[in-house]
Amino acid sequence: MKLSELKKGQKAKIISINLEGPKKRRVKDMGVLPDEIVEVEKIAPLGDPIDIVVKKYHLSLRKSEAEQIEVEVIE
Amino acid sequence: MKEIKVAVAGNPNSGKSTLINAIAGTHLQVGNWPGVTVEKKTATFKFDELTINLVDLPGTYSLSPYTQEEVIARDFLVKEKPDLIIDVVDSTNLERNLYLAIQLLEIGIPVVLALNIYDEAKKKGYEIDIEKLEQLLGVKAIPTVATKKEGINELLQVIKGYAEGIYPKIPKKLSYGDVEDSLKIVEDGLKISNPGLLNKYPSRWLTIKLFEGDELVLKEAGLKGDEDFLQQARLKFLRPDETIESIIADIRYGIAHGVTKEVLTKREKRYIDLTDKIDKILLNRVLGIPIFFIAMWLVFKIAFDFSSPFSDWLGNLISGPVTKWTAVLLNSIGSPDWFVSLVTDGVIAGVGAVIGFIPLIGIVMFMLTFLEGSGYMARVAFVMDRLMHSIGLHGKSFIPLVLGFGCNVASIYGTRVLETERDRKLTAMLAPLMSCGARLPIYILFVGAFFAKNGPTVIWSLYILGIFMAILLGFVLKKTLFKGTVPLFLMELPPYRIPTLRDLRIFTWQKLKHFVVKAGTFIFATSVIMWFLLNVPYGVEKENSALAKIGKTISPVFEPCGFGTWEASSSLITGLIAKEVVISTMAEIYVPKKEEGKKEESMDFLNDLQETAVSFVDAVKDAFVNLFSFSINALSVEEEEEQAPLKGKLQEVFTPLSAYAFLAFVLLYWPCIVTIFAMKQEFGWKILAPALPIYTIMPWLVAFLIYQGGRLLGF
Repeated sequence: MKLSELKKGQKAKIISINLEGPKKRRVKDMGVLPDEIVEVEKIAPLGDPIDIVVKKYHLSLRKSEAEQIEVEVIE
Repeated sequence: MKEIKVAVAGNPNSGKSTLINAIAGTHLQVGNWPGVTVEKKTATFKFDELTINLVDLPGTYSLSPYTQEEVIARDFLVKEKPDLIIDVVDSTNLERNLYLAIQLLEIGIPVVLALNIYDEAKKKGYEIDIEKLEQLLGVKAIPTVATKKEGINELLQVIKGYAEGIYPKIPKKLSYGDVEDSLKIVEDGLKISNPGLLNKYPSRWLTIKLFEGDELVLKEAGLKGDEDFLQQARLKFLRPDETIESIIADIRYGIAHGVTKEVLTKREKRYIDLTDKIDKILLNRVLGIPIFFIAMWLVFKIAFDFSSPFSDWLGNLISGPVTKWTAVLLNSIGSPDWFVSLVTDGVIAGVGAVIGFIPLIGIVMFMLTFLEGSGYMARVAFVMDRLMHSIGLHGKSFIPLVLGFGCNVASIYGTRVLETERDRKLTAMLAPLMSCGARLPIYILFVGAFFAKNGPTVIWSLYILGIFMAILLGFVLKKTLFKGTVPLFLMELPPYRIPTLRDLRIFTWQKLKHFVVKAGTFIFATSVIMWFLLNVPYGVEKENSALAKIGKTISPVFEPCGFGTWEASSSLITGLIAKEVVISTMAEIYVPKKEEGKKEESMDFLNDLQETAVSFVDAVKDAFVNLFSFSINALSVEEEEEQAPLKGKLQEVFTPLSAYAFLAFVLLYWPCIVTIFAMKQEFGWKILAPALPIYTIMPWLVAFLIYQGGRLLGF
């Protein structure tokens, strides 16, 4: 499943980040790493971007990037 | 050591600016990093006997080569080699902040952690074992609460300790586990092939960067990246789905995670997360947008309606008593007429133009700082990104663009809220197409003369035209000047916090000072030049002035647009001072005032002083009345009775079609000089080089299409 497909309130474990070079590094710099648990907190009123909680803080990212992040729902 | 050079690093939202203000408030110097529009703050001050040179690095999450801020920060650290790094850490978010700290330690400069926002961390029930943290990372760590100036003195004592050599000059080397063997191979390879490099750059940092294959570092080191020792070092880690860089990022986070786990304990504590509660409402799917627009309406109202009575008061003070008494003084010492006019209409009017902007810019800066510091700016970006992204902008661009409807100058300074240089520049280039408050009186005059029946529609159409052209220009610029990858949208939504008054005061003051000194000089000079254009040769009819000559020269260019008269061209030139001046120039040309018998003015100095004081009280009153009234004054102008003769004259010279083409041109051509100088001040000439030709050709084309198209359609 993709991070972008998670519903509000769903928790998931990150499996892989399929972004290329610099984008991948920047996403990782923000703490979005494999095995990390993320939760989708909010979706912007216009549907994009989304707000996830990772490493106990709120990070917002666009769906175009979230689509490249593979996750596994845990609850 | 009597002097120490300290760099301050840290994540955005870690309270770094607040900490810097608390340490060095009045000593801060604000400028830009060379060649870019990223703000650079420095301060030099004394603590006991020690001189501290502080440099504030841009706030970053990492030191990768992928954002301008990160490159600036690491270039400074690696090349300028400060003696000490203070890393401002958000204690409520230890792990992610330590990720940067670990990268700073690679550079080989001692690091002091300022465990900031320590009070909030405690409230949340976090307990940080500081001694253990110091020991694991080999750093000094000081709990601080920058907003309350707590821990500042301790921090300064530690800086002093480093200056005196009490603490070790070389930080601990953290083990990167699996990759250490490979790093050894790189280092050995360098020792043989390029021993000089290891002295030129911090050796640990260089080794890691070369192993990662960091392109900027490879280039600077003069390596290609496929040298034998590098290939050999990477052999063990070559995987199709991972880069070395990515593997190292995992290792660094691994250390950050491990350290955090050892030093951080969380006591169960009843803690109500206000931020979550507020966001449930502000970012609600249904209420989010309406609340957002109310917030924007408030921002706009405070920025313009609250500031305008003060601007008006200053304007009246300068154009009234100050001008009058200067003239009296000059006349009394027998100055020639032209000199009195130069001083009053040129110099004093120029100073007045600068001063008139002070309330607006002050309040706008205050509000932007407030929005940024409170955390709401990030929410604006979150709500608006979808819309703004579709035209190649960042969600935060919305604020500077909205401010543009009041005043384009405010927009230009407002672009500071954006994170990347690309976004700042692109937004700044589009902002002047937002129809500002100074253009409105021109629309109203012409609409009164030509479109009395459907006035509001015509005025709205001009606002829409501006927005439409901005979207169009945005598309074109995105594909040309700003080609390349659109910056990634990865934004922390920080907790809501109340910005300190100290921060608000310091930021507002810095910005105002900058404006008065830098833009002020230019505006003043332009105002004097304009005086010469209007009044040379002195005493002749307007038709024979230098301005009219220039107007006559360029007017044929506007023939195809429908307004090829020297009067129109001349007023477009003076309109550069401020757009509304178009009207007064037209009035002066078309309906010259008869030499009125000198008005009986009161010559009572004390009386003037008293009136000025009274009108200031009125201004304060008006400001608050405006604030609590529903309509936006900046967007409503009352028609002036006395314009009837001018309207009659205009009806003789323009047709409704050419009038509309003229208005479209007024909307889209060069913004006023204050905006132009604000752009120059923020971005340098290199933004004006493409911008000014665009603001010349585009409006001409639009006016041409409107006029010729309209004629074809039989208007």
